[in-house]
Amino acid sequence: MAVATNDEAHRKERQHRNGYEKHNEDGEEHAPRLSRVTPLRNSRAMATAVLTKEVPQSIIASLRGEPSLRPLADTVSASGLRAQLEDGLFEILGTAVPAEPLTVYATSLGQVATTNINQSPLGQIRGVLVSQLLRLLSVGAHIATPFEDALCAWKAEVRTSELFDHLARLDSDERARLRTDVTAHFVTLQRALGTVPPRWLPRTSVRTAQRLGGGTVVLRDVVDLMVGSSTTLHASVALFDVTTAPLGVNSERTMRYHALLQTLRSNVVPLRTCTFSTATGETWIHDVDYTMLARSVDDVLGALYNMWKNS
Amino acid sequence: MTTLLHRRLTPSALRRLIHEAPTTSSQLTDDHRLSLTSRFRAIPTQQHRRLDAWSVESAGKASSPFHWTPQTARRAIGNAALARVMRQPSMALLDAVRDEVDELFYRAATGYARPGSLAYWLAGVAHAVVSLVTAEALNWATQVGEVAHGLDCSWSLYPTDAYYDVASARTTLRARRDIAVTKETGRVLLRVRAGLPGKSAGPGLRADLTIDTLADERGVAPLRIIGVWPDAGVLLSVDGAMGDLRAGARDLVRTAVAQQRQNTRIAA
Repeated sequence: MAVATNDEAHRKERQHRNGYEKHNEDGEEHAPRLSRVTPLRNSRAMATAVLTKEVPQSIIASLRGEPSLRPLADTVSASGLRAQLEDGLFEILGTAVPAEPLTVYATSLGQVATTNINQSPLGQIRGVLVSQLLRLLSVGAHIATPFEDALCAWKAEVRTSELFDHLARLDSDERARLRTDVTAHFVTLQRALGTVPPRWLPRTSVRTAQRLGGGTVVLRDVVDLMVGSSTTLHASVALFDVTTAPLGVNSERTMRYHALLQTLRSNVVPLRTCTFSTATGETWIHDVDYTMLARSVDDVLGALYNMWKNS
Repeated sequence: MTTLLHRRLTPSALRRLIHEAPTTSSQLTDDHRLSLTSRFRAIPTQQHRRLDAWSVESAGKASSPFHWTPQTARRAIGNAALARVMRQPSMALLDAVRDEVDELFYRAATGYARPGSLAYWLAGVAHAVVSLVTAEALNWATQVGEVAHGLDCSWSLYPTDAYYDVASARTTLRARRDIAVTKETGRVLLRVRAGLPGKSAGPGLRADLTIDTLADERGVAPLRIIGVWPDAGVLLSVDGAMGDLRAGARDLVRTAVAQQRQNTRIAA
């Protein structure tokens, strides 16, 4: 592996260790560096190394990671997870059959006693529009007017919705605020996401629905963006979720839930799951492993227990 | 007795369903066709009747008139893009989808698109909608490609669905089909559907089997038809046995009757 010989941060660290704190000494220290990058006395042993390869700047580059380090695709965990879910479900429901199937969404996993202001109609509209913009970005569309383009795409996809009515009732000031808000979120998303290579098979708004307990429970999910293929020898599927709210505990549950549902759907454990907040520009990326999926099974069973208890 | 099978969607399960398909298939004769025609003729209709697996699954319930949306356009463009990639393996799927969309634009611009067609609709929508259609078609092509990737025998994409016009009964039957697997003893059909299979998914699959057999010029049934639901990770299959063909035909006739009753009620 190629490494850089030295850098400013490491030099300063050594200076502190050696007691080089006076400015004049620092000045003297700089003088020989004009002709030689690494002082002679530092050119032998190195305590730390920095990769010379570029640090990934975009989320897409981070999701890709180092291809040579990808594990083999895990095709055996799905059945075990399904069995855990079925067993846990039987412990909750027993032989009872609910009148309507209990449907679990990613939002069902949140804490019941809290109120999320991002679930307000305006927050939801903003979220839907930013999701539409992600769909357009994933196929390399040129977006000059984010709000109008997102609205146009949304109206082509959904004919009737309560949110449409809410949008129609907004006065011009509220609409202008929403336009500005959506544009700001879009700019954050566009800058952070990077270009999605066509070879990565980007799929957007990927829906999953899994029946459990003979149809008494349905797990539903929508992943905003999925890249990679579940047919490769090595794990390559990465899940990307965009939210217009700041990241919190629920975001972590959602990431796990996406990974679990994708595992149940394709019988292959995805490589990574990621969530990005366009409100804060924060990105969380986790490699998916069995522990994470098992935690998500617990989340789902907990949500089902609450739903069944309150029904 | 039905031959309906239910499996989890894995490449190995799909391969097994194909390999373990019956080696002989049934054949519909002219008598069968005449019998079906007479039954459809006995059900009066004011307008041309179009029946497919979806109408069977929804028991003939009237649905809203068809209109193009990114969701309805994705299958046609996605399958065509996948066929393009099969011809040029070096091409990325997204580029193939874009080429297909460009071809539709070209058809509309040169006056070869009739009103109501996909090309005509696409030529009149905003660029954001075109991008959304591209995204949807890419979703579709990717999932069909992933299903086909796991096959270990020769397969091809169907360029069109199967249509069968019932003579003098003002009835057209349409069967969805996406992938044909060719075996020495016959063909196995794969049909990809979005969403979650409902309780009537089996009858829907049998309807597609029957219509595909009717559309075959020699009336030879596929060895097996496999319904693939990638969203749900589910496989359903029905063999091309005479019992299933008869059940499929009965379901189609019942759907026509249900439709006719609904139309009569609306008229009253």
